[in-house]
Amino acid sequence: MRCLESIAYLFPRIWRTLARGPQTVAYPLSPIDLPAGYRGRVHIRAELCRGCGLCVRDCPAFGLELEREDRETFRLIYHPDRCAYCGQCEESCNFGAIYLDNDFVHGTFNREALIEVLVDRKRTNK
Amino acid sequence: MNRITVPIGPQHPLLKEPMAFQLTVEGESVIESTLRLGYVHRGIERLCQERTYVQNIHLVERVCGICSHVHTTTYCQGVEALLGLEVPLRGLYLRTLLCELERIHSHLLWLGVLARNIGFDTIFMYAWRDREIVLDIMEDLSGGRVSHAVNVIGGVRIDLTEEHRDTILSQLDLLDKQVAHLLGIVEHERSLKARTQNIGHLSLEDVRRYCVVGPVARASGLNVDLRRDRPPPPYDRLTFTVPVHEDGDVWARTWVRMRETVESVRLCRQILTLLPDGPVAARARRRVPAGEVISRSEAPRGEVIYYIRSDGSDIPARVKIRTPTLTSLITLPTQLEGVNMADVSVVLAGVDLCIACADR
Amino acid sequence: MALINLLFFPGFTFLFMCALFFEWLDRRIIARFQERVGPPWFQPLADFIKLLAKEDIVPSGAHAKAAALLPMFSLTAVLTAGLYVPVGNVVTASFEGDLIVVLFLLSLPALGYFLAGWTSVGVYSLIGGHRSLLQYFSYEVPFLMAVASPAILSGSWRIASIAAYQSQTTWGALMQPLGFILAIIGLIGKLKRDPLDIPKAKSEVVAGSLTDFSGRKIALWHLSIYIQTVVGIFLLVNLFLGGSSHQSLFVALPIFGLKALGILILLSMISVLYARLRIDQLANLGWRVLAPLALIQLLVTIWSGG
Ligand code: SF4
Ligand code: SF4
Repeated sequence: MRCLESIAYLFPRIWRTLARGPQTVAYPLSPIDLPAGYRGRVHIRAELCRGCGLCVRDCPAFGLELEREDRETFRLIYHPDRCAYCGQCEESCNFGAIYLDNDFVHGTFNREALIEVLVDRKRTNK
Repeated sequence: MNRITVPIGPQHPLLKEPMAFQLTVEGESVIESTLRLGYVHRGIERLCQERTYVQNIHLVERVCGICSHVHTTTYCQGVEALLGLEVPLRGLYLRTLLCELERIHSHLLWLGVLARNIGFDTIFMYAWRDREIVLDIMEDLSGGRVSHAVNVIGGVRIDLTEEHRDTILSQLDLLDKQVAHLLGIVEHERSLKARTQNIGHLSLEDVRRYCVVGPVARASGLNVDLRRDRPPPPYDRLTFTVPVHEDGDVWARTWVRMRETVESVRLCRQILTLLPDGPVAARARRRVPAGEVISRSEAPRGEVIYYIRSDGSDIPARVKIRTPTLTSLITLPTQLEGVNMADVSVVLAGVDLCIACADR
Repeated sequence: MALINLLFFPGFTFLFMCALFFEWLDRRIIARFQERVGPPWFQPLADFIKLLAKEDIVPSGAHAKAAALLPMFSLTAVLTAGLYVPVGNVVTASFEGDLIVVLFLLSLPALGYFLAGWTSVGVYSLIGGHRSLLQYFSYEVPFLMAVASPAILSGSWRIASIAAYQSQTTWGALMQPLGFILAIIGLIGKLKRDPLDIPKAKSEVVAGSLTDFSGRKIALWHLSIYIQTVVGIFLLVNLFLGGSSHQSLFVALPIFGLKALGILILLSMISVLYARLRIDQLANLGWRVLAPLALIQLLVTIWSGG
């Protein structure tokens, strides 16, 4: 009996797994569910951003760039091709302006096409 | 019998990461082996001196693709010691929770790799299927499957709600069942035993001589585990056993790792039930006072050591990383001597190499 | 009529379709046992076409002519073997002693496989070729002895008459369960399927003899291996499961198909259940266990039947 068990140990078990059905998904055809907190592409609530540059300073992969002329004229540029999706920018921002969303499929043949200007603020003449 | 030289690597289906072996083979048995490393050297230690302490968290996370969290933990632990920072207990518990989840993930992944190398695809699929449960928990917790980016200097970034905790506990129940199943396979399945027993033997003396750490050492009878010997909080409040085996072959390593997985599931459950209230992180200054520190912790593969020296700025003066794989790598020529050509894959799988760790 | 038989049913086209279908089924069954979804139905065909379209490289130093001829040689051998194995109640060609011809033809790919390793330049191919030869010696003897038993029992070396004899009495697998098991193990070794895929073990010798093949040639190799699977399964159905000799083709064929399916599921299951053996373990198993058992089985058959 013990000998038989060691020879065909998996035998009853594979039938049990057969009854459970496949656990994988045929990915591009059927959707996968991502948790809400998944770290995907960087997005911004542009009205909250003050151009302080904290996120740029802490980004480990130089994924963010700040072109700044003065307090009210600046551009925050995002380079997804460099981004490590670490979420440090979200952590560093004191104003809750920058955050990571859970879309992660953005393939392209053209690197330039990925670059996104997150904030483009000009001085408003009052 | 004529000798032939068989190259294994840098690219070979048996290796998951690039490294190179030159095996001198006579008939089917290996006479001699030489090892070449450095294919995935990324200069991380040097890069650390160019980045701020905060940026370095994400850099050291990328030292290893499997046990990424334990690297940041060790690093943050060191920097916190330099800062003299008291990390809130809840933060420590959550950090440890991820460490243990990562251990489960790493061991299950390893079992899959071993099974793949001995041509046992079913176990490979089962192990990775069960690993998916852990990955789901971690993804849900931290937002990433492998790079969790959970640690910050002074604590962690994530927090748990009450119902989230309950979901994780129920997922752990499922995991418990599956891991017990896998352990049963390891203990009873005959063809798996036939391929792993009496192969890649390391005696206790060899283990001492080469300073091997982690499951490989424990499978040869060396009873070391940093979590128990020098318990960093909160391990001192948790109960767990450290499995040790005397045989020192690949099967013993498999057994030790699977037993550890069972223990880790237990630990996770304890952490979740004992989880204290409070904040998860303390605020840290950006400039770190001058000084040096050695930080250690028990990674899935053994002890990780970080040496950090600070000169008072916000950029470390030196970061030195010692990974556990390095210690097992040097034992490979000993283990490979005289083994059958077919068992090379088993031996290599047995020590659970992480080349990315070793090369940095 | 003969031409149609040769080209379409049960000749080349039928075998080709069967090979693709069995490959898909095999992969699908294994996937289900491992809780995966598995490939879609057109995957084997897509693989085949993709390989045909790929660049064909012969490494310098390898024997170019041999590399081109060997896959065709194997394919021809198994296709010819397929001709003599009855499918359902359709017998394309048959004569007294065709069993021996089929067995010979079915073992030719092993020779081709070894030569493929021998004539290419890589070390992996060389080791793979050596291993395939060693493996051949381990499984072939028990396999031949196991397959000979039903022939002796029915008193004929003609596959069709063995099947007919069994459909009148009982199945060979019931009369000689031991022989059936041995034949299945032998077939696994012959087809180099898991767990006896020693000559082409991916984690040890990359792809064995076929490491240096690419494009059209590897497509032909794969095809020949899968046609060998089909023919081997059909052969066992005839020898051990009584074939299917019903009058009407439309009854005989489904029954035959079901039996073949049964053997395929058995093969897939075995490949799910075990780890790959080492070559010395296989040699031990072959000579210390399988061969004596086969011998006993053969002697008992001769003694009881003769
Ligand atoms: S997610 Fe990380 S790498 Fe990407 S932009 Fe933010 S800080 Fe930089
Ligand atoms: S996103 Fe936040 S941290 Fe970055 S510049 Fe704007 S306000 Fe500052």
